[in-house]
Formats: sequence, structure tokens, C-alpha cells
Amino acid sequence: MGTTDQVKATASAVVRAPFTRRAWRELLFCAIEVPLGLCALVIPIALAALPVLVTVLARDGGHPLPRSAPAHPYGLIAVLLVLLLLAPRAGRRFGAAHRRLAARLLGERIGGPPPIRRGGGVTGRLTATLRDGPGWRAAAYLLVKLPVTVGELYAVFLAAAGLANLTYPLWWPLFRNHPRGARLRPAGALTPFGTLHIATFPGTLAAFAAGAAMLLAAPWLARAVSSADRWLMRGLLGPGRLAQRVADLEQTRAMAVDDSAAQLRRVERDLHDGAQIRLATVAMNLGMAREKLGDDASPAVRELVDAAHQGAKEALIELRNLARGIHPPALDNGLADALATLAASSAIPVRLTTAIPRRPAPAIETIAYFCAAELLANAAKHSHATAVAIEVSEHGQTLVLRVSDNGRGGADPARGSGLSGLAHRVRTVDGSMEITSPPGGPTQVTARLPLHA
Amino acid sequence: MTGPRSLRVVIAEDAALFREGLARLIADRGHQVVAAVADAGALLAAVARHDPDVAVADIRMPPTHTDEGLRAAIELRRSHPRTGVLMLSQYVETTYAARLLGGSAAGVGYLLKDRVADVSEFADALARVAAGGTALDPEVVSQLVRASRHTDGLAALTPRERDVLALMAEGRSNAGIAAALVVSPGVVEKHVASIFGKLALPPSEADNRRVLAVLRYLGSWPA
Repeated sequence: MGTTDQVKATASAVVRAPFTRRAWRELLFCAIEVPLGLCALVIPIALAALPVLVTVLARDGGHPLPRSAPAHPYGLIAVLLVLLLLAPRAGRRFGAAHRRLAARLLGERIGGPPPIRRGGGVTGRLTATLRDGPGWRAAAYLLVKLPVTVGELYAVFLAAAGLANLTYPLWWPLFRNHPRGARLRPAGALTPFGTLHIATFPGTLAAFAAGAAMLLAAPWLARAVSSADRWLMRGLLGPGRLAQRVADLEQTRAMAVDDSAAQLRRVERDLHDGAQIRLATVAMNLGMAREKLGDDASPAVRELVDAAHQGAKEALIELRNLARGIHPPALDNGLADALATLAASSAIPVRLTTAIPRRPAPAIETIAYFCAAELLANAAKHSHATAVAIEVSEHGQTLVLRVSDNGRGGADPARGSGLSGLAHRVRTVDGSMEITSPPGGPTQVTARLPLHA
Repeated sequence: MTGPRSLRVVIAEDAALFREGLARLIADRGHQVVAAVADAGALLAAVARHDPDVAVADIRMPPTHTDEGLRAAIELRRSHPRTGVLMLSQYVETTYAARLLGGSAAGVGYLLKDRVADVSEFADALARVAAGGTALDPEVVSQLVRASRHTDGLAALTPRERDVLALMAEGRSNAGIAAALVVSPGVVEKHVASIFGKLALPPSEADNRRVLAVLRYLGSWPA
């Protein structure tokens, strides 16, 4: 019969529940969550109580301090301000502890919130703290979870008191083996429905039964409240769905950008170690063949070898330009070296200034290099400039590339000219590009790139 | 030129195909390839062991495939000043050239690998470097010139004199310069004398003055 089997299965699940690892982990989770949850509330309450306490003490001390009366409202305001500043930070700290606990005992892995965006100076830090969304959400979690904490406390109570009640029949014969006629106060056994007063040994069986029932119920309650807690944590302590999505996308995009830079580098290296060196060898062998032919070879053969020799040399140049366009090898030694070579091969004189104390990620170097190359080519093609300046510097976590010329200006990203393509490329790493190019010049293009994609 | 003499050569190149071709080419020219190795460490060891007239080395070699050949060459210039160093590369990098020259153009060469295809010119360059001369790729020279052009150290030179100086920097003799510019050797000599005068180079042994002129020319680019 299907239904009997189902009933049997349910019954055995109910009976076995207290003895599974999961049940104990959930109970342990509840047991630790209770003090942890209360702890977060004790701090603000204690802080709020402090000025009240000071005022009360000052008044009741017999000799009130001369200006104690205004201390109370000012003190309260001060404490509220401190709380306001502490709440997001404390929220993050406690939130992390709760998340760790959930991960350890429940296997609920919740990604941490994105790190707080640090501003410069005292005011920067202050506003960063006050505008710390994830911090405030974590603080909200600490407040909102209060009812859940009560539930967790109750689950712990069921388990602990249930376990204690089970032991009544065991210790009763040991400690209550008093002589007949002695009158002892009945022993109390805690149950959810009040205290059982037990005066006789059969009474202990009632405590035992109550304890068994409580112990059976405890895991289910623990499961329910810990599930509720997990739900709250996911909603309030995690990075948030949108933020998580953004973080995921940022990460995968950075990987894609780095990966494509690495792939281009590999292609260049393969060309360098493969086709280019083979072609150079062919050209060299043809050169030797040409010498060895001497004057006694037929003109037709000479001509053919000459043509092959010339063709191989030209192909080598084409291949080199192609490889350089894929990934300039000098970039392996850093942006400064690569730009120096770029500047040296420019048709317009270039004044290059580089101050790059920390090396950016390869992908960023590649983007900066190709930006400079494209802007230099643009200047040569369209601007009629006679001088170009390339400046590269670092400001905090940003690489700033500035290319300016003394040409006739009028560069407009809307009219093609590769500028919009550059802007797109810069934006793939959250960079920005700023173009000022009034008619008559001069043109100045500034690209800002993060040091790491 | 003192005519062809047999040189003792060490080759360092990681691509076996090109290394063997190069060894054959050099041996064909009557020189002796005393060692052909595949990385910078082996190059230093081979030069220390054989004390060759000239070392021909690739710039990009294992393990990092960036500039280990160049670093080995700079080390060799310091430790074995009598051994000429001829760098070969698929690319010309201004900074590499500046580092390689490092204040002295004597016994140094930096050529694109393409140039090996012009066998006799390459053989000339090899002999020149071995003899303490210079052999810079026209690409190297033009890059260094562009990099240095807006410094006015050479402002006094006429465009023609600059052309002559550029060819001198490549390491060409007066006859070679005359052939390249399609003028008579006498005209070249006049230009050269004028360059020496304008750069205020003291009259001394001709080759030394040429090297000094080239250095003055390239040295205006900050290394």
C-alpha cells in the first residue's frame, strides 16, 4: 500500500531526525547564533544607556554636577551619531561572523559584500561609511533577525530541556531513594507547556515522554528557524543579486580581456618562433644560393632565385609588421619601452614622458599602447601637427595616457576616424576617454585606465 | 679593411633551423664557428671558454623570450671588451639599441635578421664588428635619429652631412657611403671632414673619430 509506506517513511524520518548530523549542526548553529545575535544588540543598547546612566548617577549621587542636566540630550545625540558611524562597520563585522558560521555549520556559502569604497581624507572616509549600502544592509540584518533569534533560542531550549527531561527516570532512583514517609518537594521538569511537577517515579516517565517529544520537535524547529536565518542572510548579508551579477560580470570581463591579451601575445610568439624564423632561414638560404650560383648560371635561373630572394625578404617585412600589429614585442618589457620604440618610429617628432612606477596588467598595457599608436597615427594623418607629446603617468589606481599635438584640431569621434573605436576599447576595462579638439587645434586626448582590468 | 681573415665566432640562437643556417653561412665565408648555443647562459659560458673574435646572438631567447640575449651582450661588452658583439633580432627596438650602445659604438652590431639574407653585406658587418667597428641596421639608425632629432646637438649639420653621418653610424666606410649616396669618394671625404670639424672632434686616428662622431650622433638620445 502506497499510503502506509509513505506514513512509515515519514514516521521513521521524524524519529530519526534528532540523530542526524544535519540536525545537530542546525542546533549548534542556533546555539551559537543566539549569543552572537544578542551581542550585536547589546552594544548599541549599552551605548544608548551610557548617557542616561551618567545623568542618573550624577543626579542620584547626592551632589549633582553643576551642568549635568544638558549632558543627557547632548550625550544621547553624540551616542546616536557614534552609532550611525559604527552601524555599517559593525554590520559588516558581525555580518561576516554570521556568514562564516552559516558556511561552517549549514554549508550555506554566501559571497561577501563588495569591499567598502575608500575615499580620501577624513570626510571621504566618513561619506564612504555613511553611504556603505552593504554595511547598512548588514546592520538591518542584525535588527531584523531578532525574532529569528528568539526562535533559535526556543529550539535550543527544546533540545536542552528535552535532553534533561529524558534523564529523569535515570537519576530518580539514585537521588530519590529516601526513606518512606519523607516528604520532598516535587522536582520540576520544564516543558513548552509549563513545568511538570514530579513527585513519584512513574511521574518521571511523564517527564521522559515530554523530553522525547521535545527532542523530536527540536530539530524541526531548528531547521525552520535556521532556514529563515539563511533566507535573511542571503538577502541582507550577501552581495545582493544585482551587485553579485555586476561582480560576476566584472570578473568574467576582466578574465576575457586578460585572456585575449594573453592570446594575442601567444600568437605573436608563435609567429616569431615559427613562420618568421622559417622565412628568415629561407631568405638566408636563398641569399647563399644566389652567391653560389656565381656568373656561370643561366640568366633565367639567376632571375628566379633573385625573385625568390626578394620575395622572401618582402614577406619577412610584411610578416613583421603583421606580428607587431598583433602584439608589439617591446610591450613584454613594459609600456615605457614599447612607447619609446613607437615614438622613435613616428613620422612626427614625439616628446615622450613616462612615469609608471607600478606595472599595469598586460591587457591594460596593450590597450594603452594601441591607444597611443592609433592617436599618433591619427595625428600624422589628419592633424598636420609638427609635434606630438605623449605623457603616461599613474594617479592612484589609474593609468593616465595623454596624447596632444599642435595640429589643426577638429577631431570628432562621431565622424569615425578610429576615435570612437578607441573609446570603446577603453571602456571595456571601465576606462574613460576625453577628447578636446577645437577647430584650429590643438588636439588633446586623455585616456584613463584602471591599472588592472 | 685588412682583407678577409678567418674569425672565431660564437653563435647564440634558440631556433635550431636558423642557428644551423647561420653557422653554415659563416663557415662558408671561411670563418670558424667555435660554438653554436641556444641560450644566453650558454653564450656567456662559450665566450668565456673560447674567447672568440665575435659573438652573434639573438636578442629574444629562452627562458623569458624578451631581452636575455641583449643582457648577455651587455655583460659580454663589459667582461670581454675585445670580443665584438653582433645582435640579431626580428624587431628593432630603440631602447634596446640605446642599452646596447651604452656610450660606446666600438665592436657592436645590431641588425635585423632579414639582413642575413644579403649574405655578403652580413659578412662585411660581421668582419667589421669583429675588428672593433660598428654595424647598425639602417632601421636602428633611423629610429635613433628620429628619437634624437629635436635635440639640437647636430643642428649645425647640413641634411647631406646628416645622411653621411647616418651611413657612418651604420658602420659603412667612405667607399660604402659613396656607393650608397651615388657620389664620388672625394665628396664623401669632404663631408666627413666637415662633420668632424662641426662636431669639434680632435684630429686623431680616423676610425676613432668616426666612432666618436657616431656616438655624438646617437648619444644625443638619452640612453
